[in-house]
Amino acid sequence: MKALSGLGWIYLLALFTFIFAPIAASVIFSFNSDRFPTLPLGSFTTDWYVRAFSRAEVWTAIGNSLIVAAVTSVVSTFIGFATAYTDFRYGFKFKQAYLALALLPPTLPLVIMGLAMLAWLSQVGLSGTLTGIVIAHVVLATPFAMAICRLRLSQMDPSLEAAAWNLGAGQWAAMRHVILPFCAPAIVSALCLTAAVSFDEFIVAWFVSGLNRTVPVMILEILQGNVDPQINAIGTVVFLTSMSLVIAAQVLIFRRRRDG
Amino acid sequence: MAEPTTEPLVSFRSVHKAFGTYVAVKSLDLDIHRGEFIALMGPSGCGKTTTLRMLAGLEAPTSGAITIGGKVMNDVPPHQRDTPLVWQSLALFPFLSVVENVEFGLRMRGVAPKERRDRAMLWLERMQLKGFETRRIDQLSGGQRQRVALARSLVTEPEMLLLDEPLSALDAHLVIRMQGVLTRLQKELGITFVYVTHSQSEAFAMADRVVIMGNGEIAQIGRPQEIFRGPKSRFVAEFVGRNNILGGTVKGGVMETAQGAVPLPAARDGKAEIVVAADRVTVSGERPAGAAIRASFLSEEFAGTGIICYFETADGAEWKAQVTESQLASLQPESGQEFWLSWNADSAHVMGG
Repeated sequence: MKALSGLGWIYLLALFTFIFAPIAASVIFSFNSDRFPTLPLGSFTTDWYVRAFSRAEVWTAIGNSLIVAAVTSVVSTFIGFATAYTDFRYGFKFKQAYLALALLPPTLPLVIMGLAMLAWLSQVGLSGTLTGIVIAHVVLATPFAMAICRLRLSQMDPSLEAAAWNLGAGQWAAMRHVILPFCAPAIVSALCLTAAVSFDEFIVAWFVSGLNRTVPVMILEILQGNVDPQINAIGTVVFLTSMSLVIAAQVLIFRRRRDG
Repeated sequence: MAEPTTEPLVSFRSVHKAFGTYVAVKSLDLDIHRGEFIALMGPSGCGKTTTLRMLAGLEAPTSGAITIGGKVMNDVPPHQRDTPLVWQSLALFPFLSVVENVEFGLRMRGVAPKERRDRAMLWLERMQLKGFETRRIDQLSGGQRQRVALARSLVTEPEMLLLDEPLSALDAHLVIRMQGVLTRLQKELGITFVYVTHSQSEAFAMADRVVIMGNGEIAQIGRPQEIFRGPKSRFVAEFVGRNNILGGTVKGGVMETAQGAVPLPAARDGKAEIVVAADRVTVSGERPAGAAIRASFLSEEFAGTGIICYFETADGAEWKAQVTESQLASLQPESGQEFWLSWNADSAHVMGG
């Protein structure tokens, strides 16, 4: 790979500044004693955090988000892995269509998805429930889990599974002792990434959540009432949570693996 | 060929295998005997690997029957057979240590942890891999991985070991050493080795019997020497060794060819093709007595056993002759220069016989 030139570094720095400056500002103002985000800064305070996290609805929303994210990540990783394995193992008619369909959800406009989910979930009586949010998030997150598992399976020597059968492992034993251990990094990575997708997701959740608000939906509602740095405090926590999950996922996928 | 009288370990009876419209194996009849080292050899796409995979249960025959030890195996899934395979890619498990790889077959058969560890360690010792048991697979050299793969396949003490081009990824000097390891192992264990390869040097160096396959059929079965000196068809003659082929019409012990008449006492009257091995061709400037044809020199190539000179006859057929370095020095051939290629009429092999 070519090393970056001086100009390249400046460009890169500018790019990252552009992306991260608003987030950095939000973090900085969450520790600023002034009510409104103006310069010069006031004094350092953790007061906004104390106030934000002493509100019961914040804790309820965090609880909702954590439950939804946890269930979504497990379910969508399971479906995503199963989909990727089907693709890896079997050849069948309309396989291209199957793959296209499996990867479709993230390409849909979220507003359309949210509306459709709302209409459908209210038909089956799940609108406004945590189960409803989980269903919507599983639809959104599964393609990511599938993509990660597919990437890992594509790195596997196709003889590996047959070698397990050849040594006396039945289909399920080969799955348990060969396929799953080989895919373990991808599976953990998919769990993290799908949890982050769910934890962050606002639009669809806003349509289907009703009174069971998740954190992003709650942030909007607080914002509609009054602007104060409590939002920055909550935002900082959300940002750190999501970033940790995404970084963990990245590290697991792209770690220089010696067994790849 | 002296067939052993005991019942064969493996029998293929009219085995046919098609993948959609592609026919991999046409109609295979083959017996594999207990304790023999048999090599299936042929160019890629000849059906040798499909045959091996059917034996391991990884492919099911489209029709026909495969029996192992007298039992029809067509519908027995791979994990219920005792047919371990050494893979071309080795297919070692990268997430397991060396000893865990070797143990795998025993673990799948429910052998207790202590016993399977002991048995795996014995095999590692036997394969001179003692001290490597906790290593990861990617910390081993190519030759060491090869021996781990062998240990992993043999730890369950099978009656038969299948090998699918296991040496194709190794350096030339390691190939020779591993050939020694394999033949010694096979003799010591006394089990059947079924070895698939496209390399005639590997097949002829190790196997008791060689099966030459082409286009999904058996072209010839025999001991290496029989096949080497007596190919039955043009396909076999061109595939094994360095052979020259000459066709013509025989009448009264003389064959009329495009290159003139050559004596051929062994053949009956009628159309015939003969094979003359390159190491039985003599190159000379003057016309010698006996069987000889005229050809112009093309090039020479240094081979392990001597120098192969390439010639072309007037009608465009390629001929090869093996000469020594001193012969080459005295001939001083130049490109396009004409020579006489002669052979002892008795050393020509008449094909189809």
